[in-house]
Amino acid sequence: MIKLLNAGFTRLRKNKLFWLLTLFSIVLALFMIYFRYNDMKAYEDTVAVEQLMFNYSTIIGIVMSIFTSLFLGVEYSDGAIRNKISIGHKRVNIYLSNFIVTTITSLFSFILFIIVVAIVGIPLFGGITISFSQLLMTLGCMFVTVIAYSSIFTFIAMMISNKTITAIVSIMFTFGLMMITLTCFNILNEQEYVDEYTMINGKMEVREVKNPKYPSEEKKKVCQTLVDINPVGQMIQLAEGAANIKVLPIYSLGIVVIFTGVGLVLFKKKELK
Amino acid sequence: MEIILETNNLEKKYKDFRALNYANIHVEKGAIYGLIGKNGAGKTTLIRIICGLQEPTSGSYTIYGKDNNSGSDIIRARKRMGAIIETPSIYGEMTARDNLIEQYKLVGMPSMDGINELLKLVGLDNTGKKKAKNFSLGMKQRLGIAISLANNPDFLILDEPINGLDPQGIVEIRELILKLNKERQITILISSHYLDELSKIATHYGFLDNGSIIKEISSEELMKKMEHKLELKVSNPKDFVKYFEENKISYEVMDNKTISVYGKYNLSKFINDLSKENLVPDEIHEQEETLENYYMNLIGGEKVD
Repeated sequence: MIKLLNAGFTRLRKNKLFWLLTLFSIVLALFMIYFRYNDMKAYEDTVAVEQLMFNYSTIIGIVMSIFTSLFLGVEYSDGAIRNKISIGHKRVNIYLSNFIVTTITSLFSFILFIIVVAIVGIPLFGGITISFSQLLMTLGCMFVTVIAYSSIFTFIAMMISNKTITAIVSIMFTFGLMMITLTCFNILNEQEYVDEYTMINGKMEVREVKNPKYPSEEKKKVCQTLVDINPVGQMIQLAEGAANIKVLPIYSLGIVVIFTGVGLVLFKKKELK
Repeated sequence: MEIILETNNLEKKYKDFRALNYANIHVEKGAIYGLIGKNGAGKTTLIRIICGLQEPTSGSYTIYGKDNNSGSDIIRARKRMGAIIETPSIYGEMTARDNLIEQYKLVGMPSMDGINELLKLVGLDNTGKKKAKNFSLGMKQRLGIAISLANNPDFLILDEPINGLDPQGIVEIRELILKLNKERQITILISSHYLDELSKIATHYGFLDNGSIIKEISSEELMKKMEHKLELKVSNPKDFVKYFEENKISYEVMDNKTISVYGKYNLSKFINDLSKENLVPDEIHEQEETLENYYMNLIGGEKVD
């Protein structure tokens, strides 16, 4: 395992995609700071630095799906997995080492973003507006969600031997999760009563009526569970200061255990070419 | 002789298609074992199974005496192996040196000292910063071989290493394989459908057809069969055998009426010499077998003119 990790990180250091990801994290942080700074100047707005730090969490799924699928896709396209097995590495170790390398890279990208925001953003916007423990708790939960993302994308990359198909499936999967999350949020945000405007004798009258789209308790539970268990929903809730912060990492760890467990079993049996 | 690799009735089925049909091969230590078969005969499937990429449907195999069902023992045995399966395992975005560094880390070599020597061995010591994806096919094959040598293997498996190479590339790979076998005493299993090329390096052959090994033969035995020969139909084989023994003539009794005499003889003088001993064959045919003909005979195809 140590040898596989050592080789994995050596490859990472020489990988263009990794350096592109690193550059992207820095540029994205600076870009967001620049726009928020302009807003602050123009509208005399106040900016919470921690909110800027959390911003990356909403798009990290897309970034990770691209990075993981291309980085691990090469393992198949360039015959690296074949090579690792034929020189006596266990399949379990190969799978886990790939999972660890992509997870650490994704966390690195996120942490780098946070560091850049902190270094440049704090002097510009002032200090963090929430307690340090709350900041650490939120970031910790986000990191667990990153691990959950990584377990999903590693699973996809290790199951599909074609780099292009892996990338398409991973990206589509993330967009699928986004669609589900946004749909669920729309349903959950429906008001129980809405204003109904009627014109009587030329006079506009407003009255409160029951919203037909207002979800039932059962539907609300289903939607809330769907946004709680999927990483996109988790990240959005964490970025907005979710009330159920302690439950979300449990769901994330569940994703890690299920995807990695199933992935290991299937990869052990996978017929490789 | 120590057997490095042995397969026992290895079978591999893909749904209704049987890619390996109870194949048995025996690779001796120090051999260059040429696995010959036409496309689709099952060569790559056999190699994939040996390398652990696929599981056999039935049957078993041993590497250095370790059975494939022995769990971690077979994985440990594979650490003494190097392999190129179909295409070399190379990171195209890396240089030759970086590819070797990667492999050295994968096999856990304590130092990178041997990399220069390996690059020199395969003739890639002057490739500098050129990325492997820009290498010629021959250079990629040689880099693949260098990578497979990173763990100092005793046993090397090369699947179709000369496929698509130009004549110079073929010569380079051939010389490299011979060098590895002679100088480093590496046992090599090499699969190919290029008979002529294999005949220049192999010490043993396994002929694979429709997933079965139909013949295993040493190079010496095969060359004997390739020799110019006379086939004699005789009614008194014992007398002929006695004469051949006395005159140290290389022969083989094929059946109770047929004797093959190996070597190039002047036919009229040969018949004349026999008649002096009152030996008169019923029939005599002059034959020269080629490797292609031998192979085609084995697989039941038509002879090559």
